[in-house]
Amino acid sequence: MSWGRIQRIPGCVDVKCLRVLAVLALLICAPICANADSDQAPLVVVNQSNPQESISLGSLRTVFGMRLRTWPNGTPIKVVVLPDNKKLHIEFCKKVLGIFPHQLRWAWDRLVYSGTGQAPQQVSTEEQMLEALESTPGAIGYLSQVPDGAKVKSIRIR
Amino acid sequence: MTKRTSICSPLALIVSLTVSNSLWADDALNDSLQTHGFLTQSLIVTDHNNFFGKTSDNDHLGFTEAGVNVSYRPRNDLQLSGQLLSRRAGDTDGGKIRIDYALIDKTFAERPDRRIGARIGRMLNPLGLYNETRDVAFARPSIFLPQSIYFDRNRDLAISSDGVYFYGENRRRRTELLWQVGAGYPRVGNEEIERSFFLTLQPGYLESSSTPSYLGRVLLEIDGGRYVFGMSGAHVRINYRPGGGDVLNEGLISFAPMFLSAQYNGEFFELTSEYAQREFTFQGFGPFRPDQSFTSESAYLQGVYRFNKSYDLLARYDVLYVDQSDRHGKAYSALTGLPAFTRFSRDATLGVGWHVNHSLLLRLEYHSIIGTAWLDASDNLVPSNLTRSWNMYAALASFRF
Repeated sequence: MSWGRIQRIPGCVDVKCLRVLAVLALLICAPICANADSDQAPLVVVNQSNPQESISLGSLRTVFGMRLRTWPNGTPIKVVVLPDNKKLHIEFCKKVLGIFPHQLRWAWDRLVYSGTGQAPQQVSTEEQMLEALESTPGAIGYLSQVPDGAKVKSIRIR
Repeated sequence: MTKRTSICSPLALIVSLTVSNSLWADDALNDSLQTHGFLTQSLIVTDHNNFFGKTSDNDHLGFTEAGVNVSYRPRNDLQLSGQLLSRRAGDTDGGKIRIDYALIDKTFAERPDRRIGARIGRMLNPLGLYNETRDVAFARPSIFLPQSIYFDRNRDLAISSDGVYFYGENRRRRTELLWQVGAGYPRVGNEEIERSFFLTLQPGYLESSSTPSYLGRVLLEIDGGRYVFGMSGAHVRINYRPGGGDVLNEGLISFAPMFLSAQYNGEFFELTSEYAQREFTFQGFGPFRPDQSFTSESAYLQGVYRFNKSYDLLARYDVLYVDQSDRHGKAYSALTGLPAFTRFSRDATLGVGWHVNHSLLLRLEYHSIIGTAWLDASDNLVPSNLTRSWNMYAALASFRF
């Protein structure tokens, strides 16, 4: 009698546990799998006049976190971004910066609503991004590719 | 205070600043001048007790928050910022427009791996993870922040002070250390603060002690904010000046909160926990308010699951004990005859949020609460009407530009 009970209870718990775990795993993995994307990572792009050829990942995160204001040559840094829900912005955050759009947004909100910083300039399309990068000496942003003849250049992450 | 004026002031604030924003838009200053703002309306229903209005009766729209801010960077190492805020919160706040912060931020030295500077003026206190943005719905994970830590009794005291802060940022490959330390005078001239200390309004008034208050925070961010650990604290001193026929003598209240914060930020999951201890000391008030010292304790654990770009789910458990040596309020109840449950609160919260677009946020929330420790006395003037176990339902719509 007691032998039967001991066997039945763990078995029952196992099956239930497995079902719950399977459902949880599906819930957690579904968005990850859905977002899997093998596209090339976006390029970090600056104005052509910028002498910078490379930037460290740490500095890049600080620049896009709006906590670094000046290039080493003294030019003010102007960060240009696309809206949070644009694919290129999400890819840039995840693949290049290694953080998530909601984290950047929270960091900007904290600066803007406490008066200790400013928000980046937001543009709606990649074309506008290119225009802003071409027309502003200290601008930094991202593009899926650099068109021929554009007055911008991509910089390496070290 | 009529209700109409109080509703009008947040709206007037938004309209005037939206207009001025559009006037500035084409200006050459535009490059370094930014204006932002928000308007938030909540709907609150409680089955017992009142939170921001007579929410257990028929007043459910008593909570409105509006703010506009301007920041201007004339030089790269200098920023001037200010924010006007209007807040209607039941009988605790009438919607009066006030200066939330107004400061000059000067960077002394900046390199990719470090930055040092100072801020002078009125600043939002860097306490815990959310204090500086507690009035901005977009920067909160839920309609109400965990009330055990970010409670709205004596909020003015917690939220900002006039003084000087020094700040620094030190960066290494994977970590960033952000610190702020300062001295200043907290804002104390508010009836709710008096009620929170003395239970009822007194003939005298509270004012900042001539000795400044101190405040500081250290945040360690790892992997671009994937992990955040923080420690913050303050030491605040407030004087009581007796009024005519006062039974209280001139006394000193000192208040020392200490916060520990930890956060994990994943792509889909965010886990946050904070713990706070507040030490209160009352000295010199005479026989009617014998010298007293007690420590309150609060903590919460909060999980957020972002199941796609626009939606999030929140679950949180939040506790507050007013006196950690009398957690269940039994000694307090025996001494005062007031209910023991006014000395603690345990709040289990579930919420869902929908980020409709960049400018619009909608939220729904349910709270199952035991105890009334963080309720405002102004909203619940008759202690015998308080109920130990209660529920709160809330909805929020917030707009920003």
